[in-house]
Amino acid sequence: MKTKLKGISYSKYGYLFSIPFVVAFLIFTLYPTIYTATLGFTDCRGVMGPDNYKFLDHPFEIFKSVLENDSFRLSLKNTIGIWVMNFFPQITIALLLTAWFTSHSNEIRCKGFFKVVFYMPNIITAATVAILFKALFSYPTGPVNDLLVSTGLRDSSYYFATNKTAARLIVAFIQFWTWYGNTMIVLISGVLGISPDIYEAAEIDGANGVQTFFRITIPNLKTVLLYTLITSLVGGLNMFDIPFLFLNGGPDRATLTTSVYIYNQAFAGSYLYNKAAAASMVMWVIIALCSAVLFFVMRDKDQIKLDKELKKAKKEAKRVAKGGADQWQW
Amino acid sequence: MKKALSVISAIALLASSVAATGCSKKDEGTTTKDGKTVINLWTFTDEVPGMVKKFMATHPDFDAKYEIKETIIPTTDGNYQPALDKALQGGGADAPDFFCAEAAFVLKYTQGDMSSYAAPYKDLGIDVDNEIKAADIAQYSVDIGTNPSGDVVGLGYQATGGAFIYRRSVAKAAFGTDDPATVSEKIGGGSGSWDKFFEAADELKKKGYGIVSGDGDLWHAVENSSDKGWLDGDKLYIDPKREEFLDLSKKLKDNGYHNDTEDWGDAWFADMKGEGDQEVLGFFGPAWLINYTLAANCGGEAVGEGTYGDWAVCEPPIGFFWGGTWLIANKDSKVKDAVGQIIDWITLDCTQDGLQYMWANGTLNGEGGTKDCVASGTVMAMSDGSLDFLGGQNMFDVFVPANQFANGKNLTQHDEKINSLWRGQVRQYTAGNKSRDDAIKDFKQEVADTLDIQS
Amino acid sequence: MAVVNKKASTYAFKIIAYTFCLLLTILSLFPFVIMIVNSTRSTGEIQSHAISFIPGSNLKANWNVLMGRGFDPFAGFRHSLIISVGSTACNVYFSTMTAFALVAYDWKLRKPFFTVIMAVLMIPAQVTSIGFYQFMYKIHWTNNYLPLILPAIAAPATVFFMRQYMIPSLPMEILQSARIDGAGEFRIFNQIVLPMMKPAMATQAIFSFVMSWNQLFMPQILITDMEKYTMPQMVSLLNGDAYRTEYGSVYLGLFLTVVPILIAYFILSKYIIEGVALGGVKG
Repeated sequence: MKTKLKGISYSKYGYLFSIPFVVAFLIFTLYPTIYTATLGFTDCRGVMGPDNYKFLDHPFEIFKSVLENDSFRLSLKNTIGIWVMNFFPQITIALLLTAWFTSHSNEIRCKGFFKVVFYMPNIITAATVAILFKALFSYPTGPVNDLLVSTGLRDSSYYFATNKTAARLIVAFIQFWTWYGNTMIVLISGVLGISPDIYEAAEIDGANGVQTFFRITIPNLKTVLLYTLITSLVGGLNMFDIPFLFLNGGPDRATLTTSVYIYNQAFAGSYLYNKAAAASMVMWVIIALCSAVLFFVMRDKDQIKLDKELKKAKKEAKRVAKGGADQWQW
Repeated sequence: MKKALSVISAIALLASSVAATGCSKKDEGTTTKDGKTVINLWTFTDEVPGMVKKFMATHPDFDAKYEIKETIIPTTDGNYQPALDKALQGGGADAPDFFCAEAAFVLKYTQGDMSSYAAPYKDLGIDVDNEIKAADIAQYSVDIGTNPSGDVVGLGYQATGGAFIYRRSVAKAAFGTDDPATVSEKIGGGSGSWDKFFEAADELKKKGYGIVSGDGDLWHAVENSSDKGWLDGDKLYIDPKREEFLDLSKKLKDNGYHNDTEDWGDAWFADMKGEGDQEVLGFFGPAWLINYTLAANCGGEAVGEGTYGDWAVCEPPIGFFWGGTWLIANKDSKVKDAVGQIIDWITLDCTQDGLQYMWANGTLNGEGGTKDCVASGTVMAMSDGSLDFLGGQNMFDVFVPANQFANGKNLTQHDEKINSLWRGQVRQYTAGNKSRDDAIKDFKQEVADTLDIQS
Repeated sequence: MAVVNKKASTYAFKIIAYTFCLLLTILSLFPFVIMIVNSTRSTGEIQSHAISFIPGSNLKANWNVLMGRGFDPFAGFRHSLIISVGSTACNVYFSTMTAFALVAYDWKLRKPFFTVIMAVLMIPAQVTSIGFYQFMYKIHWTNNYLPLILPAIAAPATVFFMRQYMIPSLPMEILQSARIDGAGEFRIFNQIVLPMMKPAMATQAIFSFVMSWNQLFMPQILITDMEKYTMPQMVSLLNGDAYRTEYGSVYLGLFLTVVPILIAYFILSKYIIEGVALGGVKG
């Protein structure tokens, strides 16, 4: 990774090319985030709140009340529960499909068609999905209920929307159904990035499909898996659209996720901006911790590479500092 | 590098040009290209915009000077209030000059957190006290629209006192007659208790009919007949009549007196067509429910089609009211007089050229439109509420006396949210998922958690 | 013997695989079929049986209701298109640029910058929404498409994806030889790097376009001028009628909303079929 040619330093372009990102980030993400974060330490609430608030005498008062809040705790449990229920089938099926569609020994015909079709649920707006599933599971007459009764599986209609477990399962299913295609596409991209040489070598060694998948594909898929895990974790812990639109967090708070909780605090009713902000920050810490754990678990190979890069970067930095005629001032 | 700069500057230019189109109208008293002054109207359905169009059509002088820009944001996704609040606070050219608020949240804008934005009607050039007297406006509408310092800041155009709206054919089959007086007698009309209603439910059940579609039908009657609202000071208060709803709902469900539908759900609409599991006797509701919901979902448009013409209204066991829309002007509006003219025409004009007369007689968009009860008693007295949909019955005979039960004393600004939490817990209790005490306990917890209202 | 066994197991595998894929296909196409069928049925028919595979004869009536409600699909398309194309272009172009900065150059803050990007990725959307929304109101950027387009410039997930793709597939030698030919860095990026990144950009473009096209929460709060409504906002208007929902026309509206993304998707889908090679492992 040489970036120097005839003594000219190109490092300034690294900064230059990051400017748009940094500027947009500062304006549209960092400023609002810091603004939100500070609200958690203030008495900002009510319609007039944002124009007129002051910092609390006990800065962590709001954080404490949020952490002790029954609904918040419940929403945290729900979020994690629903995410787990949706993520494991999702990654399993996505991996399975990835294995099938990239298999060298068992070519599946029409895989292009399948790949295109499987992503399609992801295209539809959450609002549409919510309407559709509401219609599907409606009570006392709805397609699912009609089916259950007419096939004799049940004597009478079942009220899916009042049963907590059923509601959670349906939400998890919807999440799974909308995202498995997306996950699959990313995973296939990862597998295609693995050098064919490795597979050839494995084939010569007489490894069968299953062995190849577990011994070669999975280990080499680590960075992409990490990407999938992180984005899915972040997306899952921020799950909002479906739980909100499908049953608005109900029945009996069974599908109340933390994002719905935050939304309700901030926008639906009393405008408890400070509580919503504190809950948001708590969520961020939780997500960051979970991600850190994931990074740690999946570190090994990457770590070594990163260390190497770090060393090189340090060397580079020293060299630049010494000769820096063309240095970009930050 | 030069190219990079030129691209960046091009983007910046583009950005500023887009921004310019968005911000150029920041000056107060916006005018359009043809020199008209813009009046911003914010609402959640196309009902009031329709009225305003009529106003413009009948007032050419006004039409020549002003243009209405309407913003409609449905309440269903919960976005209307946040957006309206922000727009009121933000001010500027996009701020509403006047806006609509529904019964479920109107108090927030007339007496609650946002009431400081409401302009008293008298500042709009309306001689409000005298006009209210002349038009004989329903007292509850005035009560709800009066701010803490005693000024009227909002009025509605409807009167939403409720009745029991029933199917004639079901009544005939079950009670042998479809006469409103007899049916009212059967369900305990005006008795102030639910006892006779449940006796009737039992009688209907034996003949294979339900009495209502779901517990939501009963809820609106219970909610707005209670003595007090959800709040006592800043504490949550559960009125005994509202708490009793738990038992009423359970009784309905356990005995199969209804089809267990949810209001505004598909199955609820199906019952209006008589296509539910069992046919149901009727629904509780004000006049608007007949014209906008029952008529629209009865499966026909003339007598003999669907359940059209098979309906009648009678006095409910307990008097109540449900819904209504209030019009409120922004105190920061630069066109107060113009807004005042529109509001006056909609809420207080009791002549035959005023909105309320057309609204009551269904002539807003020509003859044969939907009829509705209006807030002005004067207008009601000169209007005819006979409907083919009700088999020729004059619904005003029932709804006018019903309006006396409407009062603004049991509303709070958080009703929409609290009601949905309460209904959710009631549903859990009636479905047998938790005990009565747990339902109440969880309800209190949810209210405290979402609204920071302790009990 | 072994060969026969293998053949049998291959057959079994194929049957299982195809059955499973067929099942998922039905599951995936199901909502589209329902949308199309229901957009031809009357509200009454839909209310009594929401799911049916037999088209009705109400398409025209539904279309008229849609039109009568101030639903102007062409204006909606135009607005949604401006937002989606703008934000997708910003997202893909600037993310690639940022990834390029991360991969091709050695700079002091590279590592911390990457860490920051990863941290940004984890900020829940709800966190920034409160502040974002207050901010936009303060600078009067309401009824303006910019706040829906410009934030796409800083899209950490896309940067991450692009970086992963670029590490193995962008040979530094090409950059070097271009430099020797006297090409400026910016030209190298636009004329050499961008074309090489096309497959990855297409995949991300699909993801980004879909997300932008479907968003409702932010437009609903920031765009209040009905003349500037986006497609999903218009549909939510239909759905939000206080007295009665015209299901037939709602479905028609939903279907109309999905058509442009379907077209965009099918155009770009060749990259999904071919697949994008992505990974940190070099050959």
